[in-house]
This record gives sequence, structure tokens and C-alpha cells, in this order.
Amino acid sequence: MGVQSMRDWHTHVYTSTYTADVSGVCSAMYELGGMTVLHDPSGCNSTYTTHDEPRWYDSKSLMFVSGLDELTAVYGDDSVLINDVKKAAEDLKPRFITLCGASIPHIIAFDYRGTARLIEKETGIPVLPVATDGLKSYVSGVDLALREWIRRFADETEEPVKNCINLLGVTPIDFSGPANVKAMKKTFEDLGFTVNGCFAMEDSFENLTHAYRASVNVAVSSAGLKTARYMKARKNIPYVVGLPVGKYMAGRMADAILQAQEDGRNRTAFDERTEGDILVIGEEVYAKSMAEAVSRTGFAAGRGLAAAALWPDTDEGLDEDDLYDRVNRSQIVICDPLFFNVFADEKTKMIELPHEGYSGRIFRDRIPVFASGEFDAEAFIERGK
Amino acid sequence: MNTPYQLIRDMPYRYNADIGLAYSSPCRGVWNIVHYGTLVPQGHQIFVCPTSCLRGVVLTTAEMGREAMKKLSTITVGEDNILNGDMEEQLLHGTEKIINTLHERPRMVMIFTSCIHHFMAVNYQRVYRILRKEYPDIDFIDCYMDPIMRRTAPPDPSLRRQVLRVLKPAEHDSHRVSFVGNCYPMTEYCDLYVHLKRNGIEVSDLTTMKKYDEFKLMEQSCLNFTFNNAAAMAGRDLSIRLKQPEMKMRPTYFYDDIDADMQNASETLQIPDVSDEEKARLRKETEEAALRLREKLNGVPVSVDYTAVVRPLEFAVYLLEHGFNVESVLIDVITESEEVFRKLVEIKPDLKVYSSLGWNMRTADRTHEGKILAVGQKSAYFNNTNYFVNVVENAGMYGYRGILHLLGLMEEAFDSEKNMPVLIQEKGWGCRV
Repeated sequence: MGVQSMRDWHTHVYTSTYTADVSGVCSAMYELGGMTVLHDPSGCNSTYTTHDEPRWYDSKSLMFVSGLDELTAVYGDDSVLINDVKKAAEDLKPRFITLCGASIPHIIAFDYRGTARLIEKETGIPVLPVATDGLKSYVSGVDLALREWIRRFADETEEPVKNCINLLGVTPIDFSGPANVKAMKKTFEDLGFTVNGCFAMEDSFENLTHAYRASVNVAVSSAGLKTARYMKARKNIPYVVGLPVGKYMAGRMADAILQAQEDGRNRTAFDERTEGDILVIGEEVYAKSMAEAVSRTGFAAGRGLAAAALWPDTDEGLDEDDLYDRVNRSQIVICDPLFFNVFADEKTKMIELPHEGYSGRIFRDRIPVFASGEFDAEAFIERGK
Repeated sequence: MNTPYQLIRDMPYRYNADIGLAYSSPCRGVWNIVHYGTLVPQGHQIFVCPTSCLRGVVLTTAEMGREAMKKLSTITVGEDNILNGDMEEQLLHGTEKIINTLHERPRMVMIFTSCIHHFMAVNYQRVYRILRKEYPDIDFIDCYMDPIMRRTAPPDPSLRRQVLRVLKPAEHDSHRVSFVGNCYPMTEYCDLYVHLKRNGIEVSDLTTMKKYDEFKLMEQSCLNFTFNNAAAMAGRDLSIRLKQPEMKMRPTYFYDDIDADMQNASETLQIPDVSDEEKARLRKETEEAALRLREKLNGVPVSVDYTAVVRPLEFAVYLLEHGFNVESVLIDVITESEEVFRKLVEIKPDLKVYSSLGWNMRTADRTHEGKILAVGQKSAYFNNTNYFVNVVENAGMYGYRGILHLLGLMEEAFDSEKNMPVLIQEKGWGCRV
């Protein structure tokens, strides 16, 4: 064995890591009145509550870790978890329980569905099994949790209402505090749509049960894609992928939603660009939408520049070598400030746009309202002069 | 709904809150293994874990700033590693890549494997053997971030031992001792430090070191002092491997115990004991300070937690015996002797004991009628008070000077409010790179 030249997405000499699927589950379920149980020894819970959850201090939502230990794992003794959840649930009386877990339950083949069924039988409280493994990014966790919630609680007898949309994949991990969510809702309402449900921030359990009233689902982040596909499969509700980053993208979104409503086909509201002098790093739908918005600015057009997106793979995150190459080939990079150490020199200009999914709470105060038709992409990219 | 506390008279001596679903409060001052690892001068930490585990250590480091980020790298365990069974190769390849990419060559590389490595029976020692041959100028240390093993080998005490594993048997210097397993420098508020310096004894303490060579001098110490339970594994290991005797300095608030431990240390080092005059003076000053503070508090309740002082029940006894109104303590395990516990039951049977870990603490009523003085972040948070002593793990305090300083901090906290929500959420109180 020696130094190999093989591609190695695993090793990160300098860079941070995107948050994991378990945080995604907790974040997605946070405001819905349930109790989320993370089956894990310890650590994932405090990571989530410290770095990924801006609502933790000021609210009393229920999220706990099971405290799995060596003997319980070796014996595969699920009764420990079942009894512990029962005890807490009997006291706290959550509306529902979500059961997710990290890598050890995964490798010992913990039966999420079976255990959920047993807890539900004994407590009478609905239990959602979300089989995360701690190996994937939050995108997977948010999506699995939202899909499971809709599968369980959404009323499938409801019929779509024209110009009624759901926003899928909305959590603080991508959108931080409520300002972005409120602005995003307002943008769609200003475009003539009714926001039927926002999964799952700034909304309620009761309202979200009417999910199937939407005529189109909008996956405003990649964390809403599985859910969108699920609803397409169940009730043939088409979906649009994109985020209204500024006026141009808001217009593209409106057109795509109306077309999807008309012909029932899924759409993306941005063009796919693989290369560009401007690079946007972040969650896939945000990054592609921002790249589209930036490419359409006078700043970019006047200089003959185009913007491309770079996003973390759900399984592998960002390959640090690839990241280094892409960043240092670009003139301008729009990214989280925690990527500072990828920049080889000052030839490449960084425009900061912090992302909680990457840097957690560190730059929370500097996150702008970007998910809005009123976001000024022109002024934003001009910082790269 | 369950009451979130028990009265001490209703509790068994054997108590451990790490049972059942656990809650993570917003209090973040206690150090984790990343903080401790950053103490090693010219050291580099490599965490090898799934994403869910990496997230916490990376952002803990990032919150310490850009310099800290230069001292940490990661190797993500992926599904492919599990399926291919190539954890050893990945570990080796990743470590090589990191070392060959770093701008500065580290003197020590701490490689943290995780729970999954135990369960996959990864032979990491084989990898370390190869690395030691490839990079003979670097000390490689096997470290563990494996909370699944916390009942038998908790990661934090394990790390305090592991970083010292590079020390080799050496000739002992009768004028050098080590303070082992602390997070904070023990200097002016530590009776032992003051006494040793006065008698010409050099103290090696990882918390104050700037260069790796200073760290290696610990090999020459003739005696190791430990001040808390988290250092016990380290102290024992050094006594076996390097034949350096360990002396446990009890982090006590009982004057006779302080005197006894100091005398024991002096005798072992063959230096004069603290003079009777000095002991009497320190004892008098401490008593006077306690009395002054009691009068100032004038019955205002006090709450103590285990994050601030490593013997919270003993400190509660001390305060109660000095007339303070101790209302509650927050502990997740009892670390004091049964004698101390029984004493507390006797003098304050209605003392409220909270577990900070319990799931029912999430919905606990955090309001407190009237002013309360908290010693520690968790006491402050759960009593929702801005009047609190913001320290962690005794913060370098030991002996009379330590008690005097702590009483001073309590007085200061009583007089002026702090921004509790902001301060308690800062990770790793006082840890800087």
C-alpha cells in the first residue's frame, strides 16, 4: 500500500462536511408536533441541536437520542429502545413519533419498520420509520422523512385545486430562519399561486394533511425530490424543480408551474450548465437556480460569463480535489465562507452566501434572503467585481 | 407528567442518568474530544467516521477559527467501505494523502476511529504500524470517538490517556512533575502549583505547552498529579508504562482533605509541607470569604451543576455547611463518596436533584421564582438565570485558592448579569487555538 492516485472522495484535508441524513429527519419533522428518536449511541443529537437547528433554544420540540450501547447492539435487543420510547411517549404524548438512526443500526440491520410497528401497537401513537444510516447527507434524511409523513398523514382522497402548490424540501438546513420561507411563500403568492403547504416550516400538521390539494409540487430543494416523485406516482401530481432566486427565476418558476399544471409533466426551471466562469457551490436546486439567475444578469452577460453549479452528492459529499480544481478555475465563486481554504490565491473572488447545511450556525447572521423574487441577483454578483 | 427532579432523600446512592432516551440541552461549555486534541502542540487530528459523526467534530473545530481548521482533517466512512471491506486501505490512503498535503508537517497525528470500526472489526493497528514505518518523524496515536463503548471506555478519558501514549520510559527528574488530564492550566488558583513552584519543582502541563518538545519532557516527570476522574485512565496508564507514580489530588472542598493531600504530595517529593501558618491563613481567608458571600446572598438560592465543578455534591455540602441556601444540583452520575451523599441527605433532604440528560428535562419548567445564583451553565439554563458562574471542569481551581476564587466568581456572578443564552451555547468554554 502507498499513496495512490485513485479518486478519493472520502478524504478531506481542509474542508468541512455537509450535515447528515439524521439531522435532515429531525429538521423536517421539527415543527409538526411529533417526537423524533435518533437511534444512535450519542453525539448525533448534540451535533444536530448545536449546529443544524436554529430553533432548539427557543422551542420545546421533542428530539432525543436512544443512547444505544455496545451490549444492546451486539445482542440486537430492540426491546430496550421500544421500552424507552414507550416510557417517554406515555409521558410526553407526542402526536406522532419518528424513528431514524445512524450507522450502527444500519450495519446491524436494525428493523425500523418492524420496531415502529411494535411501538405503535403498544403506545397507540403513529410511528414513522425512517431508515437513515448516518452515511448520507441531510438531503436524503429530509426527503425520506417528508415522504414518510405524507404517506402516513396526507389525505389521499383530496383532489387538486388549480394554482395550488406545495413547497417541498424546506428546512432551516437550507433556508435558515423563517425570513427566507416567508419571502419564498410571498413570491409564489405574488405570482398568483396559493401555497397549499410548506413542507415543513412555518406550517402546521393539520394544514399539511391537505397536501394532495396541490395541483403542482415545487421541489425548492433537492430534499423535496423523492417526496415529489412519490406524489407523482400516487396521485399524478406533477412537480417543478427550482427556487425563485430573484425576479428572473421567479418568472421561470411561474411559467414552469403553469405548464406542468397544464400538461401534467415534470419540469426544471433552470438550464443545466456544467461549466462556467462563475461557480455556485451549495445544495443542488439552490445552486442551479442561483447559477441560472446569475447567468441572466447584465454583469454576466456584459462580460460573456456564465455560471455553473457544484453540489454535494448525497452519498459522497464534495470530492475535495474536484472542488479545488473547480474553484481555482473560476473567476468568481458564490459559496459558504467556510470554503475559504480551498481558494489557492486571490485570483478567484469569493462571494459569501452562508449555508447552514455546511457551516452550521457559524455564519447564520450573514445569511441573506435569497429565496425571493425580490432578491437582487445583479447587485449580488457585482460584489465579484 | 413526571417531575423532572428527585429529592435527594428519595434517591439511591448508585445513580446514573444515562439510561433511556437522552436529551441534549443547549449548554455547550463542556469540552469534547476535539477540544482536548487541540491542546497537543504541533498535533494534527484525523477523524475517520461516517458523515453523521464527522459533522460535530468538524464544526466544533471550525467554530474555533481558521487556525484550528488547519489542525483537523477527516476521512469519511462510506457505504462503499462497508461493502468493500476496505476500511484499512481507506484509512491508510487517506492518512497518507493528508500528511502529504498539509503545509506543515505535524509532530503527532491523532487518528480517531469510530463505533463502526469496532463493529466491522477493522484492524487499524496494522495501518498504524505501516504509517509509523513510512513517517518515522511523526508520532501516530490511536484515538477513539466511539460513544457506543462509553460504558466501559468513554471517549474523553480514553483520549486523555491516548495522547500520552507517545511518552516513552525515561530517566526521572526529581524536580519535574506533570499535571495530567486537565483541560485548563492550573496555576495561580491551584495551591499545589504555587507550592511546587515555590519549592523549585517544574510542572509539565499539556494545557500550557506551545511546542511538542515541551510535551515530550513529561517523560522525565517523577510524579504525575491528577485532579479529576476523567484523568484517571491517563494517570494509571503512565504509572504502569513509565513507572511514574500517580497522585490523585482530590478536587475537594473539605479543608482537612486539602491539607492531607498537600502533605502527601510534599512528602512524596521530599519538599517541605505547606507551613501551618499558611494553612491557617488560607483557611481563615476562605472562611471569611464564604461568610461574606453568604451574607451578601442573604438566603438567595443557589444551584450547582456538574459541568462547573467536578464534585457538585461535595460543593453543595460545603455551601450548606456555611449557611447557603442550596436549592438544587444537576448531575448525571454521582462521583462523590457515599459518605458525602449520606451527609447531603442528612443536612438537606429536600435538595432537588436534576439530571440534565433526562428526556423529561426537555419540557421541564425553566422559570424560577425570584433570583437564583447558578454555578455552571446547566444550572443557569434550567433555572433560566443570567446570574451564573460561567466555568467548566473546575477551571484550574484547586485547594484553598481554588475555593477562594470560586467564591469570588460567585460574588461577581451575583452582582452582574451575563448573557446566558449566548454564553452557554458557545462550545468548549475557554478552548482556543
